[in-house]
Amino acid sequence: MKAKIGVYICHCGSNIAKIVDCEAVREYISTLPEVAIARTYKYMCSNPGQDLIVQDIKEHGLQRVVVAACSPRMHERTFRAALQAAGLNPYMFEMANIREQCSWVHDDPQAATEKAKALAQAAVRRVVHHEALEQMTVDMCPNTLVIGAGIAGLTATLELAEAGQKVFLLEKQDHLGGNLARVDLTAPYLDSARDLLIERITRVRSSGNIELLLNSRLQQLQGYVGNFTATLSRTGHDGPGTGKIREIQVGNVIVCTGYREFAAERVTHFGYGKLPDVITSFDFEKMLQAGRIECCDGTIPKYAAIIHCVGSRSAEFHGYCSRVCCMTALKYVHEIKSAVPSCYVSDLYIDMHAFGKGHEDFYRRTSEVKTMFLMFGKGDHPIIRSAGPKDDCKMLIEVNEQLSGELIEIPADLVILMVGMEAQEDAMETARLVNISQDKEGWFIESHPKLDPVATTTDGIFIAGTCVAPKDIPDTVAQARAAAARILARIAKGKIAVDAVYAEISDDACSGCRICNELCPYSAIEYDDKKKRSHVISAMCKACGACVAACPSGAIKGRHFTDQQILAQIEGVLR
Amino acid sequence: MAIRVNPKIIDDLAVYGAEDVQLCYHCGNCSAVCPHADEFNVFPRKPMRNLQMGLEKKLERSLEPWLCYYCGQCSEQCPRGAEPGETMMSLRRWLTSRYDVTGLSRLFYRSWKAEMIAILVLALLTGVAFFLFGMLRGDIHVYSGPGAFLPSSAVHLFDWSMAGVLAALLFVNSLHMWRLVFGSKDGPKPNLFMYLKHLPQLPWHFLTQNRFRTCQERNGLWLIHLLLVASYLTMLVLIMFFLPTMQSGPEIRWTVHTFGYAASIGLIGATIFMLHGRLKKTRTQFQHSHKSDWLFLIMLVYVALTGVLQHIAHRAGFPVAANLVYIMHMMGVVPMLVLEVPFSKWSHLAYRPLAMYLAAVQRDALLGRSSQGGEILAPRRIA
Repeated sequence: MKAKIGVYICHCGSNIAKIVDCEAVREYISTLPEVAIARTYKYMCSNPGQDLIVQDIKEHGLQRVVVAACSPRMHERTFRAALQAAGLNPYMFEMANIREQCSWVHDDPQAATEKAKALAQAAVRRVVHHEALEQMTVDMCPNTLVIGAGIAGLTATLELAEAGQKVFLLEKQDHLGGNLARVDLTAPYLDSARDLLIERITRVRSSGNIELLLNSRLQQLQGYVGNFTATLSRTGHDGPGTGKIREIQVGNVIVCTGYREFAAERVTHFGYGKLPDVITSFDFEKMLQAGRIECCDGTIPKYAAIIHCVGSRSAEFHGYCSRVCCMTALKYVHEIKSAVPSCYVSDLYIDMHAFGKGHEDFYRRTSEVKTMFLMFGKGDHPIIRSAGPKDDCKMLIEVNEQLSGELIEIPADLVILMVGMEAQEDAMETARLVNISQDKEGWFIESHPKLDPVATTTDGIFIAGTCVAPKDIPDTVAQARAAAARILARIAKGKIAVDAVYAEISDDACSGCRICNELCPYSAIEYDDKKKRSHVISAMCKACGACVAACPSGAIKGRHFTDQQILAQIEGVLR
Repeated sequence: MAIRVNPKIIDDLAVYGAEDVQLCYHCGNCSAVCPHADEFNVFPRKPMRNLQMGLEKKLERSLEPWLCYYCGQCSEQCPRGAEPGETMMSLRRWLTSRYDVTGLSRLFYRSWKAEMIAILVLALLTGVAFFLFGMLRGDIHVYSGPGAFLPSSAVHLFDWSMAGVLAALLFVNSLHMWRLVFGSKDGPKPNLFMYLKHLPQLPWHFLTQNRFRTCQERNGLWLIHLLLVASYLTMLVLIMFFLPTMQSGPEIRWTVHTFGYAASIGLIGATIFMLHGRLKKTRTQFQHSHKSDWLFLIMLVYVALTGVLQHIAHRAGFPVAANLVYIMHMMGVVPMLVLEVPFSKWSHLAYRPLAMYLAAVQRDALLGRSSQGGEILAPRRIA
């Protein structure tokens, strides 16, 4: 039986129509024997545009549909939904991209029109071979594993637990709070980090839905979204239960493993480790928590200096900005000035990044307490040396000051190095365990940096907080809550739909060579030891096609990307 | 060689009135809007930066504060409220105390009480001295002519001696200013020709305040300032050269007194304008008043009014009252001149023209140096 295909050519306002002669494309396409109907329309994605398809399917009994318009990334889902609304299987649809791949990139109308014809024809040829596919659903285990009990982990855990869901909170250390527990006050409102944490920790400890796993690490994560099995082990030296292995069932995982501070010893010119009164921001936090600002000999500093961007924004170490150090430095100024009002504080920065809510105001207030702000150039760092016996200070900082162009020397008794954030040393291991990617700096990569900032390319694995990139507390908390919200939405559904497009291995043709096992970037292929065959976990497969192309036996078929479909498409392009 | 910063300078300057300097984040709007800033003198931004960084030596040798007439545009344009105009004003006060070799200026600027005590002591000494002098030598019922309580010849002699002492002090301080500006080893070294070439600038700026005129488009203060200066000078000439005629009477000597009346009206009018402005904060430059500003204006009004009053008392036939008011007048004049001319606000009569003269000399010296193939010292203005 000859297929009845409807073809719709979109003007996209003038985006397509100003280069491509849509009418000529329509005329050409309607000569193809399978095409029952061909139309042009100003905006196919608009409601009237979609209605056109629905009406034609109902009136003319169309069996397949081609839309020649923009990229399928943009509107494939829109048109598939239209097909479904008209009672057709949504996979009986193909899109020809005559905007991004044609009108936007060409300026010869005649040639562009010819190319549009070819692309539309290819889609028609391909859609003939489309098969009706059914979406699968899998059960969603409502338990969640949260890795890391810093402010991100605690927040996500509480959000899930207070919605009535079971959460396993995994922490490698013996206490909760992560890096935030090492901080005294927070910028810009100077409220106590301890207060922020204590309230959360109390709620976590008293919740019946939370199982707290301190001194524990993830050893292995198997399965797929909704159905993970996590293997955990107890760490620690000789505490009770060391080395004990435990398996838990979870549906989703949130990775909140945080950051570690940049090791100041790596920067040699600041004399950290040699000059005893050159300390890092975390050393200073410890001093603040202890309640006394002092030099190593117990004296109160007359001059304090703060140096920004230690390890950050440098060609030698990390190129990125650690985002929180500028405001933390301003916080230190306030803490020093309130504890030792007579102390002169100089603040050496490259650029002052005061981007957040209340930050600019905080910067201003820091100016008001008479901070000496000094700007140095990237790659032209200050140099610290011990002062002479005649000087009234312990150290002298030499810096080529940018705003004045002067080479100056600043007295200092205490120097605080604002060390940046870097990825945890075990970040690579974590990434491997949960099958997510890292960027060149070691931070975990989001599914989309702007539109999908908490999901990853592995379904069911979410990331939040400073394991993704340096960020401040509000951003971390927002991300943690977003991850929890995403998971709660999935739990509420109970089941999760899995795309019908995935790879399938024919048991009869598979030789059990296991090439595909190693190749699969999503760990979606398992090897069955008994049958000596590989098989695809369809819920985990992203249909990238790597295994299909690699299989030496031709045993793997990509659903919706069959050889027949692809070859027909190529023939269509070549006409 | 790195310059050592002195972080304490900022606290010192706050006493002189520069309280908001650290708010500046160097956008440069102030220097862009300033009609006087050029490639050699980038102010107010540069002096503000030197002040923020506590570069004491740089500030000390800087002429820039004197090149500013405080039109206030910079403060109005400042996005941070760092008050660049007021900072320049404060720097002028600070520089005045730096130029002063006696250290009294610093004491008076920093302590309002010390200044008050000095004024009272001087006033009291003057009062007692003149009273005793009058009682010993003259008759309190006679104002002028033979047997006068305070004969004009004696007062004249006193005026000239005081003028001599004050001029000498101011001269020494001005020399100190010159040494600070050109005294550093690495600074520009002008030759004699450069000094001679620009010499006419001294009387020119002293008499016309021509530079102020370019700010005047905006606020008209130049005219008022010019009126004030003209009135002062007229009064100075009258007192130094025509005192016997001034004091004679009771009939009015129109050839001399006409000038006296005009100068008095100018003095009182301009001073009341300034006082009113500072009280009501009518202009940007009147927003912040240092204690020394008030003291100066109050003393001026007092001196002008007592001067007028003794004149009236004398002409109206009340010699006793005229003599007593005369003493009161001198009790204002002496502290005002002794304190203000070498140690405080009034010293700008010398420092301003001198600064403009030295700036012109310095510019020549810098250009001379850069044309010798040395480093380029001043950034060029982008055309």
